[in-house]
Amino acid sequence: MSDPYSILGVSPGASDEEIKKAYRELARKYHPDNYQDNPLADLAEEKMKEINQAYEEITRQRAGGQSGGYQGQSAGTAYQSQSAGAAYQSQSAGSADPLLRQVRQSIQMGDLNAAERMLTQQATVKNAEWYFLMGEVCYRRGWLDEARQNYQMAVRIDPGNLEYRRAYNMMSRGGYAYRPYGNDMADTSACDCCTTLMCMNCLCGGGRGC
Amino acid sequence: MFGYVRPDRSHLSDPAWESYQAAYCGLCHCLKRRCGFAARFTLQYDFVFLCLLLEDRGEETVCRRRCAAHPWRPRPCLAATPAMELCADRSVILAYYKLADGVADETGPTRLKSRAARWALGRAYRSARGRQPDFDRHVALCLGDLDRLERENSPRMDRVADAFARLLAGAAPETGAGGLDRPRRELLYHLGRWIYLADGVDDLPRDLAKGRYNPVAARFGPEPDLTYLATTMTHSLSLAQSAFQLLPRTRRGELLENILYLGLPHVQALVLAGKWDGGRKRGRRDQP
Repeated sequence: MSDPYSILGVSPGASDEEIKKAYRELARKYHPDNYQDNPLADLAEEKMKEINQAYEEITRQRAGGQSGGYQGQSAGTAYQSQSAGAAYQSQSAGSADPLLRQVRQSIQMGDLNAAERMLTQQATVKNAEWYFLMGEVCYRRGWLDEARQNYQMAVRIDPGNLEYRRAYNMMSRGGYAYRPYGNDMADTSACDCCTTLMCMNCLCGGGRGC
Repeated sequence: MFGYVRPDRSHLSDPAWESYQAAYCGLCHCLKRRCGFAARFTLQYDFVFLCLLLEDRGEETVCRRRCAAHPWRPRPCLAATPAMELCADRSVILAYYKLADGVADETGPTRLKSRAARWALGRAYRSARGRQPDFDRHVALCLGDLDRLERENSPRMDRVADAFARLLAGAAPETGAGGLDRPRRELLYHLGRWIYLADGVDDLPRDLAKGRYNPVAARFGPEPDLTYLATTMTHSLSLAQSAFQLLPRTRRGELLENILYLGLPHVQALVLAGKWDGGRKRGRRDQP
């Protein structure tokens, strides 16, 4: 493993507080919410693992060098990216139609052309899930107008489905992205449930060591 | 390209701004040395961005140079790097195709102007094409798709934008490292979509007056839903920004971040408000 300090972008002489701040900023940057349904999600997850390991390593090193009272914090402080990722996956597992299940699989594997082909072959019976999956294909390609239209149709047909609603809500607020210039640049309408959860997650995950 | 991709000076530190200027002047000198005097007129902000994005971690050399635009005081100027040379060639190739497009689409004096400019750029283009044959083919292919969709008067905004976005995504050379190539491609793809839509919004009144194809008008009619457009453009920027954050941090981090998070949204707001200075972005060389 390379130098944990350089991974967090701090000098080895940095104070605990500075390190925690740097770590939190990076965790905010590579948060799974910013890469949801993104073809680059795997790279973001790798980054997240890397900074988690670096942070844990530093905390461990420093705990070892100091006397008393510091142990036991190191493992708990790191942000748990695994659990969040798993939560998203379990959400999108169910599909009654075997063909649509296959479409989901192709999307997961990044084979968007195959997914689209299967969907257009089945275009005679378009249900909410069909529109949702077509939206997923478009979204991963960066075809955001068509993605939004498809998600909207899915929500219209099946308003109770949380998966469809989440996707549509994301489109209607222009996606999530980390913003390095602080909150003044962020959209003020960012108070839907996903954002609140994300903020709480950060606060709870990183704040335990306080 | 179009000159939309520029930094927001008011939020940039002086050293970062100077390094931007040095990169701008560097690319201009590189264009002249590699492709001849005419090539300098293809200089655009967008390619300075590409240049900064592709730059490797090697040493940077800044010298001071005079030029026709700055004849009295020599300006700081970044010495050519392989990335800069690549951007210079690719900028000439793209400019040449754009002029060829102008010759095919325009009428009257504008067409004559495009024809003259294309002739003037001919030599530069041929030398750049000799060095970048794959990129030349890639541009021809993507612009062919774009042209076909525009002629069909396609209302599928994303599909038309896709042809241009793919073109830009191919502007970064493959390095073979997935961790570098994939975020770069994604970044440039989403940026390409954003540029294409920004240009569509900006050109809307002119295209409607002349009865030309416009992707925004084809999708929304003559009075587009600007809130919807703003959201979808911002979303493309969000995806470009997220891809950018996965790239290794270089010394250009501050500049690139300024362009992506402040410069582009600023330009977007101006374009959507109809306040973008359309006359300045075409023809005359941009000056930082």
